[in-house]
Amino acid sequence: MNRIYNIGVIGVGGQGLLTLGRIIGLAAIHAGLDVAVAEVHGMSQRGGSVIVNVRIGEEPSPLIPVGGADLLISLELLEAVRYIQYLRRGGVLVSNDFIWPPPLARYPSRDEIVKSLKSKEINLYIYDANKASTEFTGSTVSANIAILGFTMGVDEELEEILGLEKVAKALEEVFKGRVLEVNKELLRRSYIEGVKIAEKRRGSR
Amino acid sequence: MANPLLAGRGSRVLLLGNEAIARAALESGICVAAAYPGTPSTEILEAIIEVAEQCSVYVEWSVNEKTAFEVAYGAAIAGLRSLVAMKHVGLNVASDILMSSAYAGVEAGFLVVTADDPSMHSSQNEQDNRWYGLLSHLPVIEPSNPRDAYELTKESYALSEKYKIPVILRTTTRISHTRMPIVLSGEIASGRNCRGVFRQDLSRWVLVPGNARRRKLELVKTWASIMEKEGEEPFIRIINPGSSKVIIASGIAFSYVREALNLLNAVDKATVIKVNMPVPLPRAPVKKVLESASEVLVVEELDPVVEMQVKDLAQTEGYSIRIRGKDLIPLNYELSIESVYSAVKKFLGIEGKTPWESIGVVETPTPIPPRPPVLCAGCPHRLTFYIVKTAANKAGLKNPVYTGDIGCYTLGYQKPFETQSTCFEMGGSIGVANGLVRAIDNPVIAVIGDSTFFHAGLPPSINAVYNNSHIIILVLDNLTTAMTGHQPHPGTGISATGKKTTRVLPEKILESIGYRVYVINPMKTKESIEAVTEAFREYKNGGMVAIVSRMKCALEVAREARRSHVTLPLYAVIEDKCTGCMACVNLTACPALIVEPGAKKPRIMSDLCIGCGLCASICPYKAIIVVNNPTPGYEKLWWEP
Repeated sequence: MNRIYNIGVIGVGGQGLLTLGRIIGLAAIHAGLDVAVAEVHGMSQRGGSVIVNVRIGEEPSPLIPVGGADLLISLELLEAVRYIQYLRRGGVLVSNDFIWPPPLARYPSRDEIVKSLKSKEINLYIYDANKASTEFTGSTVSANIAILGFTMGVDEELEEILGLEKVAKALEEVFKGRVLEVNKELLRRSYIEGVKIAEKRRGSR
Repeated sequence: MANPLLAGRGSRVLLLGNEAIARAALESGICVAAAYPGTPSTEILEAIIEVAEQCSVYVEWSVNEKTAFEVAYGAAIAGLRSLVAMKHVGLNVASDILMSSAYAGVEAGFLVVTADDPSMHSSQNEQDNRWYGLLSHLPVIEPSNPRDAYELTKESYALSEKYKIPVILRTTTRISHTRMPIVLSGEIASGRNCRGVFRQDLSRWVLVPGNARRRKLELVKTWASIMEKEGEEPFIRIINPGSSKVIIASGIAFSYVREALNLLNAVDKATVIKVNMPVPLPRAPVKKVLESASEVLVVEELDPVVEMQVKDLAQTEGYSIRIRGKDLIPLNYELSIESVYSAVKKFLGIEGKTPWESIGVVETPTPIPPRPPVLCAGCPHRLTFYIVKTAANKAGLKNPVYTGDIGCYTLGYQKPFETQSTCFEMGGSIGVANGLVRAIDNPVIAVIGDSTFFHAGLPPSINAVYNNSHIIILVLDNLTTAMTGHQPHPGTGISATGKKTTRVLPEKILESIGYRVYVINPMKTKESIEAVTEAFREYKNGGMVAIVSRMKCALEVAREARRSHVTLPLYAVIEDKCTGCMACVNLTACPALIVEPGAKKPRIMSDLCIGCGLCASICPYKAIIVVNNPTPGYEKLWWEP
């Protein structure tokens, strides 16, 4: 791989972003690629704004430049808008269909956010990863895995670079026992959902 | 799910920069490791703790960085390799012993890891700790990425042992908190003898002035010798020699310079000096490159530590070349590929567009609100702050000033709490309170966390009693070092490796110093308000009072509840009863309480609520109730009598 492929993983502290970044990093290792996974977060344990910079390519420096991200995976809609300028023209944004407002704040509605995002030259996918996780595991705790599977399904470039099997293998290094089995199955299901959506979109063009 | 830290030679594993340092230290055969937790350094010791038993390493969370340094140094003067790790400001705390250790030296490899935090992601300043190398005359090693950190840690142990002095390894947030694949080049030493020998040597270990003077001469000799003899790999590397344009890059800056040159197709247009030892800068190789240079750019994060040494060298040698640095590279904050790219481009005189094209910002009708760090749902500090403010009103404590400290509770500076008016450094809440009462007539309440109290809160607590400084001490005891990721401390009675040990209680210490101590459980809101009101009244009557508010960190409670299958209460807002007065929202600022756009009443996010019950106790209309069946006795998870 000559150029560096940049993925910004964004959301709110506590949504499993660091784990998600690590899984992509491990998958890159299995795909025989070099990678840097840089975690940028502030002083809070939970509830702060977080971006994990994943850069796949030879000896990457740690941080994605503004306009350098090929793909943004967001676990939260307000954060998707906050970090959107990292996305390059024509890049892909996959966002969880979920708003987690900061305390005491006034914020835009879901429809306002989606409408604003649609005004940009990006490939936008909104996916309810919380729902996908809850339906299958009983809680939102695996929303990070659901959105990763879905993203692999809709983003052909990421699928080509990593491959779903390498991601599944990476899960084995992070989870064990029943949690591992559940996450592997959730990854596969949400991937299929993504593939279907992508096919439908291609068909309608 | 094998621990990558224990993988065998030749394995390619994904390691955090901090884990890479830990692995390299283990390969180097350390016997002792100590630290006080501090972002971004914490994971170094955490990684070692995980494997301490298998690797027969003694490891401890010390009460502060000075003590941690002394623990590791004590082992090193007895011939055992050791490591101490801390965040940049931690080295300020340990700087006294750092300076002396340079004079006395070591008998075995001793590494002082300082993890600096440019851009202050989680710190009160962004000091460049490479200065400590110049101050103490100790070499500073600076990796450019996690892979470098792994190799250079091992080289640092060799360097330390070769010259019998401590070596400072300086990382930054961007190296400590970045993961990269690393091919392990060594195995973790096993079956080592971790018994050392302390050789009596008064002229070396007793730094009375006469001995210190002799040791200073040794130190100066060693310093000169390192500067002269270590001017080759692994400490400095010359790439593409012979070019008249020269870029000198230290640490993380090299990663950006490398990528910038690639993007500009200009790898052959400049000679690059990769500096892995910024202090002292090896002179011979730099001199050789400067001989044929026409212009030099020094790229480094924060201060011009290398730049000044390069200028010094050029001046001494009589070279009249232009040396650029901080005129093109910012003096503050982290570097980025963008900032280094544009500086390198300008330096090389290359024209053209930047390779990145952003889609720009997205405007929404209501702007995206900022998301500053907040106290978690269920955080005990929220309850304590509410209780203390309510009690201050009840007791007629007028306009109290809350001096603050370092920890999650620092977030109490925000609305609606405003129970932190200062935050400077560890222990500063009590120390500064001692001075404020000499200057103002307001009551002064020093707010300090449990771990911070043990770290630096004791001397100023004693000072207040001894000098009759009339202050109130409020210890927020959440039974852990929460902000850095829940490390145990003396108040928990648990060691770094999870063993039971003597528990040291803040109230016992404060009582023995001379405070009348009130211990409260903030879960019992009403009782606690009564107790704190009484404490404040006693203070108004001239008493020396301290309050210890004890309730476990909510994240720990949630974790334990999951582990032990305990159901915690789940609260919900009953729409019919709720009048939309918003008292719960405005008085708690709890992240679990949200008001959707257009909604007149709040809602509790069930995924986030962990049942502390503060909102329910505040609600004037009893409209917030428990809607599940909590496990009887769940309260025990919050409070350990």
